[in-house]
Amino acid sequence: MELYAPILVLAVLAAGFAVFSVSVAPFTGPKRWNRAKLDAYECGIEPTPQPVGGGRFPLKYMITAMLFIVFDIEIIFLYPWAVAFDQLGVFGLIEMVLFIVTVLVAYAYVWRRRGLDWD
Amino acid sequence: MTFLVSPVANPGPTSPGPTLADFGHDPLWISIIKAVFLFVFLMVGVLMGVWTERKLISRMQHRYGPNRAGKFGLLQTVADGLKMGLKEDLMPRKVDKLLYFLAPVIIAVPAFLAFSVIPFGPVVSMFGVKTPLQLTDLPVAVLLILAMASIGVYGIVLAGWASRSPYAILGGLRSSAQVVSYEIAMGLSFVAVFLYAGTLSTSEIVAKQADGGSFALGSLNIPLPSWYAVLLIPSFLIYVLTMLGETNRVPFDLPEGEGELVGGFHTEYSSSLKFAMFMLAEYVNVFVVSGVATTLFLGGWRAPWPISLWDGANVGWWPMLWFFAKLVLLFCFFVWVRASLPRVRYDQLMHFGWKVLIPLNLAWILMVASFRALRVDNSPLVIVLMAIVVVGALGVYFRFDTVLQRRREQRAAQEAEEFDQLRDQPTAGGFPVPALDLPHYHGATTGLNRKEVPSA
Amino acid sequence: MNTITAPAIEYLQLAPLLIVFGAGILGVLVEAFAPRYLRRAMHIPLTLLSLAGAFALVIVQTIKGVPTKPSAMGAVAVDGPTLFIWGTILVLAFISLLLLNDEDHFVPAASAVPGSAEEERALIEGNVHTEVYPLALFAIGGMLLFPASNDLLIMFVALEVMSLPLYLLCGLARRRRLLSQESAMKYFLLGAFSSAFFLYGTALLYGYAGSVDLAKISTALSANVGQDALLFTGAALLGVGLLFKIGAAPFQAWKPDVYQGAPTPVTALMASGTLVAAFGALLRVFWVAIGELDWDWSPIMWGVAILTMVVGAILAITQTDIKRMLAYSSIAHAGFLLVGVVAIGDAKQNATALAAILFYLAVYGIASIGAFAIVTMVRDAGGEAWHLSRWAGLGKRSPKLAGLFAFFLLAFAGIPLTSGFFGKYAVFQAAVAGGAVQLVVVGVVASAVAAFFYVRVIVLMFFNDPAPDGPTVVLPSWGTASVVGFAALATVVLGVFPQPVLDLAQSAAGSLFVR
Repeated sequence: MELYAPILVLAVLAAGFAVFSVSVAPFTGPKRWNRAKLDAYECGIEPTPQPVGGGRFPLKYMITAMLFIVFDIEIIFLYPWAVAFDQLGVFGLIEMVLFIVTVLVAYAYVWRRRGLDWD
Repeated sequence: MTFLVSPVANPGPTSPGPTLADFGHDPLWISIIKAVFLFVFLMVGVLMGVWTERKLISRMQHRYGPNRAGKFGLLQTVADGLKMGLKEDLMPRKVDKLLYFLAPVIIAVPAFLAFSVIPFGPVVSMFGVKTPLQLTDLPVAVLLILAMASIGVYGIVLAGWASRSPYAILGGLRSSAQVVSYEIAMGLSFVAVFLYAGTLSTSEIVAKQADGGSFALGSLNIPLPSWYAVLLIPSFLIYVLTMLGETNRVPFDLPEGEGELVGGFHTEYSSSLKFAMFMLAEYVNVFVVSGVATTLFLGGWRAPWPISLWDGANVGWWPMLWFFAKLVLLFCFFVWVRASLPRVRYDQLMHFGWKVLIPLNLAWILMVASFRALRVDNSPLVIVLMAIVVVGALGVYFRFDTVLQRRREQRAAQEAEEFDQLRDQPTAGGFPVPALDLPHYHGATTGLNRKEVPSA
Repeated sequence: MNTITAPAIEYLQLAPLLIVFGAGILGVLVEAFAPRYLRRAMHIPLTLLSLAGAFALVIVQTIKGVPTKPSAMGAVAVDGPTLFIWGTILVLAFISLLLLNDEDHFVPAASAVPGSAEEERALIEGNVHTEVYPLALFAIGGMLLFPASNDLLIMFVALEVMSLPLYLLCGLARRRRLLSQESAMKYFLLGAFSSAFFLYGTALLYGYAGSVDLAKISTALSANVGQDALLFTGAALLGVGLLFKIGAAPFQAWKPDVYQGAPTPVTALMASGTLVAAFGALLRVFWVAIGELDWDWSPIMWGVAILTMVVGAILAITQTDIKRMLAYSSIAHAGFLLVGVVAIGDAKQNATALAAILFYLAVYGIASIGAFAIVTMVRDAGGEAWHLSRWAGLGKRSPKLAGLFAFFLLAFAGIPLTSGFFGKYAVFQAAVAGGAVQLVVVGVVASAVAAFFYVRVIVLMFFNDPAPDGPTVVLPSWGTASVVGFAALATVVLGVFPQPVLDLAQSAAGSLFVR
């Protein structure tokens, strides 16, 4: 736990600074109320009405997020394997080759189904 | 978890530096001093960094850059910061108040925290207390850095989402998709380092780069370079690319592509201290990735070669200077890239991240691992396995390459055909188009005698 | 530098699992690289051969001798009951896949909005979701691993591997798209919820025993005293997760909706394979891990069994959709099987009860696949003729088909000379021997109620006049025909001459679950 305590100190410092800056901002500047200023900025045209909750957005982003999770988990498996590689030896290598190949099968599928393409 | 804390075997006469065991003994006041130092270092670093960037890029573009506020314009950023503080702080009507308020905080704080595990130097005596020049170290220090980078993404997404503006939400989504995509390549580029270092602790990774060791090839002892940047050059190159993508810097600064998305996820944060937080976070993030590059690939705080011949180079407070120099050089690299390269297109960016960096990385990791396995166990099985990996990787590569090649040729043929058609009938596409063999179309008229038209 | 010793893995014992999963991965590769027109032609032999190969390996394993120790460092138990269950699941999966092969059960483009232009276009282009083959293989692999897993974490992983592809498959029905999507959504949400229960129960039991290993939990029962809250809550949550999967009341709500919405071959796979797998896992958890605790859980299990039988039998009467009716019938059968789970006692009693359950599962699975296969063949203009009234007079138009369906229904009802009779008889007999006489009385009454609605369908088919624009009976493909033929044959043979399979079940159950 002693290892983590200094991070906490820095976190308090950084968070204190950030929260202070953000909350002091409304009081340091002038206040000149103007209806148009408070609209969403869309280069001057009437703002598009935004549904509550942000509305729908392209599915591509969700696919990217899911692929990110797949590969992030792969990375999480790779790290301890890499650290302990010398102890694991050849067995570790074989297992990791199998694991990576399995993930790559899914990767190839996604690639071929144009899950990685953006237009 | 215990195997992560393997201490460095036998610190030799030229001690490679602190290990994990040296951490966790600081009294609280030392921790506070270090934390305050780190905080001030980063704040001043951002002020100076912005100035350096503007000055440097100006010189590269034959301009002077800021030179009014203070000597050499040194106070320009301070003035800008003060101005931001004195600007009107808007809270647009439609925004999600709480998240709109919190997003700058969420993006700024993790950026600072990531720096807590970056080593600045070896053990020094600070007011009579022996302590390493590093806020703290963890058995999973690099994971902490990655985790903080991931938390920063929340700030981006929430800033875009809370703004309730189509530009902001698209900018936020794009930016987060980009950051997570490049985070994978970044995480993978570390794996080879861990294979060699056998630890995730930053101080120990630096210690491992003290001496490259040697590789026995028969009776020959070939000394290996000590920096992982040299030893694992593909990993380093990939990391350098991903660190540009991860921090949304040129040439990957699409979230702020003014032409298409106005200001990206911080469109609605107009020029107040909230916006200043985003700026701050961006620069701190640049420092973080530079610090990580220094630590993981460039020997950390250890002096580079000619200096390292001097015995006192790697003891006491000097290493902070080497670390700082490396950091500054990397920052200048960012600026250099910004001055040189245009912004890439979004689909090219994602394509590069997913289809090039990730498979390359995985193949490289397996090759490094096979090579390592040879040192552990010199059995023919490993060699066979290695051969299979290499052949498989090459096979897949060529398969895709031929497919891509075919596609490229197809597209080129299609374009040529279209071009021919347009040359014959300029209005074929439905639009009035000038003839494509007009003299000022470069390269379009191979057969004709073309004269360069001087621009007026 | 100390080395980490590589775990010993008995690859031969796990070979059936590995073959099925490997074929699944190959299937994904086929999806990725094969051209569209070749995919089916490559999937069908790959899938069927891998299942057949796995079945052959199970037989080899049985002949070579049943292992007496858990394999893969105690993570997977390949014992007598497991091998019997594996054999059963593989046979059921094989015939379900023959059913699944038929062209027109699946939607051309699952992601298109029902009735949209995209869907139309995909239909015209002749798109097919050939992903159903690897998905089914993954689900089957999960089904194999689920009852064999000897620790709770592996069991959880198997549960997910089994369930996730099924959630997807449920949403792929070609007709009645909205119902299909609704069923997939419902199944996914409720399934995720029950998985969370299972995982939470695992965590609590780990807190109690310090291990997720079933045998270690069992030994901890006698060692640890005074942490009963952890133990009971954990066991209860685990039970919720498992009872959900078999569709026991009060966790049965998903079953009718999902069975109704899913493509019928997938329903057949779920009604047979999933039920067998889930019962295997339930038995392993309740008999191995917390078997010592039977005084505490058996009253609750009594209640669940009674409720399940009653709910299944009574609600089935009110159904007008043929697939919903079969779903409620499946709930009722889960109740009958739970009667066997309660019949725990000494080793001999346990072996008898286990053998009865195994036999029941096998015969019920085969009969239900047969019944669902017939459901796929009775068509209206818009797909399967789902409303019961449409089945009126079917016996006069196509007596053979109606006769076969009637026969399967009689097997469900447990009429002598059908396999269902011996299944039910074996379970009830074991329960009587185990002292659960009252339960058996309820079971017999519920059977009588259930028989009523089975017979009602038979009466509807044979003694009512056919509607003028009644459904047509399509000419079955060779796959569907062989499924129906095999199911009917098995139901007859096992109804007349059940002894070989009963013997097999008894010898499989004789060694009980290894620890």
